[in-house]
Amino acid sequence: MASIRLARPATSFCKHLIPAASRPLSTNAVLRATTSSTPENSASDSTKKLKPLTQEQRDYLSSALRVNQAGELAATLIYSAQSPIIVRKHPHLRPLMAHMYDQEAVHFSTFNSLIHKHRVRPTALYPLWSVLASGLGWSTAIMGREAAMACTEAVETEIGNHYNEQIRSILEMIAEWEAQGYDVSGEIKQLVDTLRRIRDEELEHLDHAVENDARKAEPHWLLTNVIRAGCRGAIWVSEKV
Amino acid sequence: MASPCISRAARCLASTARGPIARKTAAAPASSPSSLCRRQQHYHSYDHPSTPPFGPVDREILAAAYKHVPEHGFSLRAIGLGARDAGYPDISSGILPDGQFSLIHYHLVAQRERLADRSRELLEDDSLTSVGDKVAALTWERLVGNRDIIHRWQEALAIMAQPSYLPKSLAELAALSDDIWFLAGDKAVDPSWYTKRAALSMVYSSSELFMTNDRSPSFLETRQFLHRRLGEVQSVGGTVGAVGQWVGFTLNAGVNVLRSKGVPI
Repeated sequence: MASIRLARPATSFCKHLIPAASRPLSTNAVLRATTSSTPENSASDSTKKLKPLTQEQRDYLSSALRVNQAGELAATLIYSAQSPIIVRKHPHLRPLMAHMYDQEAVHFSTFNSLIHKHRVRPTALYPLWSVLASGLGWSTAIMGREAAMACTEAVETEIGNHYNEQIRSILEMIAEWEAQGYDVSGEIKQLVDTLRRIRDEELEHLDHAVENDARKAEPHWLLTNVIRAGCRGAIWVSEKV
Repeated sequence: MASPCISRAARCLASTARGPIARKTAAAPASSPSSLCRRQQHYHSYDHPSTPPFGPVDREILAAAYKHVPEHGFSLRAIGLGARDAGYPDISSGILPDGQFSLIHYHLVAQRERLADRSRELLEDDSLTSVGDKVAALTWERLVGNRDIIHRWQEALAIMAQPSYLPKSLAELAALSDDIWFLAGDKAVDPSWYTKRAALSMVYSSSELFMTNDRSPSFLETRQFLHRRLGEVQSVGGTVGAVGQWVGFTLNAGVNVLRSKGVPI
């Protein structure tokens, strides 16, 4: 039953989030700073003309990969803490929970391999996020199906916004290269594609959560706002530490 | 040994090295003499060209000066002689903002990149199966890189420990242990990422210190010292891992027992 619903692409939320990604970002201090960098052009022997990444761009990309890995770690732990409790009370949710967990596990291993490949350090607060995420998943599952779904709704909303911001920043980076007559490396193109795919899957989870009565959680506004604030705080910290 | 080795390293630099030290073919970027101050690069790109850690003039002078290190130490005199060899006036050693430390930094970077270059043939050896063996082999190879200047290394350590140079020295040490783990093929990106690098940094720096006083033929005692330290780290790491696994298993089992009794958790 769930699989029928899952086949449907993420709809309502994507619609107003996706155009935002293609919109040029007005203010981004990190990337604006890179425009003033000296036009140092190392003659590459390959056919592509690529610009060396500035230190700001390197910092941005490494903190982006770091925070994404931390986020997917938290997501897998939230779902794995919720699943046994939710599934026992509501066996019909087993395929949905398993599907969402599996997707998060794939995202997590994607970012693990990207972090390894690009030699970015993982977040130093890894154990803290593990404990907090498991605690969040467990406590919302104890509060019931609606609360667990409200948790998913809140987390995925923040994550969707977060991925959109990243995609926008990287697209701005690409636009800048293209404006200066440089080529865009395959690795950055691939990164954008990966981020887009993962964002769409996250927003699909958001739709599933809303369909499963996330809005009926008892103090819905309180629960979602607390979790969303927590997510924003965690993202902010993970970008730095 | 020094100069042919480095220029070879520069020519066929392993693609995994963090930043090429010598990019002879690259159109010289208008880099300032203070290019030594460039910060550590984090995100390692495979497509985009990376900026070399030394400017072309700095590099030329330092490479020439490096040949004088065994005789004159990591000194301004060596830099002056190197500048003369490279065809610059003696006074041009002044363009190196960190003076003697520039030469030490050059040694650290060049040896780290030589290691990345050597790692391919080194790791082809089939007897190195585990990541731990590869780490031991790479660490030893890096220590061997100190062979020609080891009698000058205590002076260098004293300079590296000065407060203004300490951050860069530690960053180089961190980059070295990161390189070794990466080249050895370690893919862990969990908290063990930190403990592994911290442990290897400690083992490497203590072995290096031991090596400065080692008079045994071909540094046999240093090699034994290194293997003892690595063995200790591995046994401690194994114990911590086993305890962690046991705690996790017990907690999991406890929760499952409670669940089977009908407790809603």
